[in-house]
Amino acid sequence: MALFELPPELAIDTAVARRIMVGFIRGQLRQAGFERALLGLSGGIDSAVVAFLVAEAIGPERLLCALLPYRTSSEASLEDARSVVDRLGCASRVVDISSIVDGYFEGALGPDGAAASSLRRGNFMARARMAVLYDLSVVWGGLVVGTGNKTEVLIGYTTHFGDDACAFDPVGDLYKSQLRQVAVDLGIPERIITKPPSADLWPGQTDEAEVGFSYAELDRLLYWMVDRRRSAEELAERGFDPRFVERVARMVAGAEFKRQVPPIAKLGPRTSGVDYLYPRRRPAPGS
Amino acid sequence: MQRRRIALAQLAPRLGRLDENLAVHRDVLAHARADGADLVVFPELGLTGYQLQDLSAEVAMALDDPRLAALAAETTGCSAIVSFVEEAPDHRLFIAAALLEDGALRHVHRKIYLPTYGLFDERRFFAAGQVTRAIPSRLGVPLGLAVCEDFWHLTVPLLLALDGAQILVNVSSSPGRDVAAVNEVGLGTATSWRALLRTYAALTTSFVVFCNRVGVDESVTFWGGSEVIGPDGETIMQAPLHDEGVFMAEIDLADVRRERVTLPLLRDERPEMVRRQLERILRTRADEG
Repeated sequence: MALFELPPELAIDTAVARRIMVGFIRGQLRQAGFERALLGLSGGIDSAVVAFLVAEAIGPERLLCALLPYRTSSEASLEDARSVVDRLGCASRVVDISSIVDGYFEGALGPDGAAASSLRRGNFMARARMAVLYDLSVVWGGLVVGTGNKTEVLIGYTTHFGDDACAFDPVGDLYKSQLRQVAVDLGIPERIITKPPSADLWPGQTDEAEVGFSYAELDRLLYWMVDRRRSAEELAERGFDPRFVERVARMVAGAEFKRQVPPIAKLGPRTSGVDYLYPRRRPAPGS
Repeated sequence: MQRRRIALAQLAPRLGRLDENLAVHRDVLAHARADGADLVVFPELGLTGYQLQDLSAEVAMALDDPRLAALAAETTGCSAIVSFVEEAPDHRLFIAAALLEDGALRHVHRKIYLPTYGLFDERRFFAAGQVTRAIPSRLGVPLGLAVCEDFWHLTVPLLLALDGAQILVNVSSSPGRDVAAVNEVGLGTATSWRALLRTYAALTTSFVVFCNRVGVDESVTFWGGSEVIGPDGETIMQAPLHDEGVFMAEIDLADVRRERVTLPLLRDERPEMVRRQLERILRTRADEG
């Protein structure tokens, strides 16, 4: 029996995809002059896949997995993350972010902190994890690897400068359904592949309940809309509910800012990102 | 016997590191010569890397650059095709593929078609070449040089074959994309290129030599899969996808004669008719604005 629903048009050659992603990880590190990497391991499928890929690319001894629970995070997530660390034999470190987050909302922010919405708290947790990862990256001497997939990047189901912060992202062009295929190919524990994806910001939260549709239908729509450039009319002919199409199209358009480097006001003769364009890892002149 | 040995250097150049890439080219040349290679082919921008952007001007070399002369000096008794950013005397930058032979720089092909769409932005940084021509070589038959996108335009292989080329050489930095499972070998780019190369070989009844780089620049991964196709469209040698290495192929130049006697497609080409039709088409397009 299949572990998950895979729309046929999203089926990928996992061996080739894996080869490209593993080479990409090596290439990025080499270009930047680093030999080590680290990432935040949540217990979910995305970070598990990236951890396996990094271990394959550079060896588990050069990977640090940071487990960054908040006090309401589920114990099962932590166990799943630990199972990945055990399987890979990589280094790991647990940093409980509760005191950082609570110190802000229950202390630094003053009396109105306690009333903060779960959205604010969720975003703050994601950014606290980012701050911890970047701090640990100095100690570990490695680059932070991103774990955001194409589905969440497109609909903007991320915290800007939080879970989307990274030096590079090997899985950002794989839809969730495709990433699940890669997970099976990598031999990731079945429990991690089959459990409902969750940001785990509060007990019982799941992505699909929060967003309102399944990854299989969302991925299929995004594929035809974005990759295959089908118009709203053509999507309707393909059987997609126009209300669903409109809602997703709005989410994608509204998240454009999260996918781009913030613009700089053009004043001088050469402006970073406008007409000063270099590779991210530029060799020093004369090298 | 008219056998020739061709070495395809399926390398992963380091972006912007000209000196490192020069050293690798010299090393590969020396080894390939020791292995009896008559022709050593390096990929597009093998001396500089591909996603250069504003680095293009910083790694550019004039044709009289001593570093090119030093590389040419290593080609005694063989031919090599190397690719780099050429800075013309008027300071235009070109993506160049040069034929080096017996210690000298014999010919430079400037990339004619510069893709500036999708993931490509070449026209922003480079000037487009204007000339395609077959060039005599020490291999005994004329060569036709092309760079990557030049082969996505039907006219280039046709013109080279009409001009007398019997070996068409395409050097590439082709970024791999589309890993849909329905693709042959799991990569859409490889599927398209393989169809093109076989079609050109069969229709021009020439050898087609394709050298594509591997490795990663920024977001993109170059897929390799360098190959040599015979004048009948059959595969002579096929290098693996993504693996760095130097891959040897042996060709028999007599295959071109055999194929062209059997299947005289080039004899039956109608260049005057093509010219008349092109002139008519150009007039019509000019009238239409």
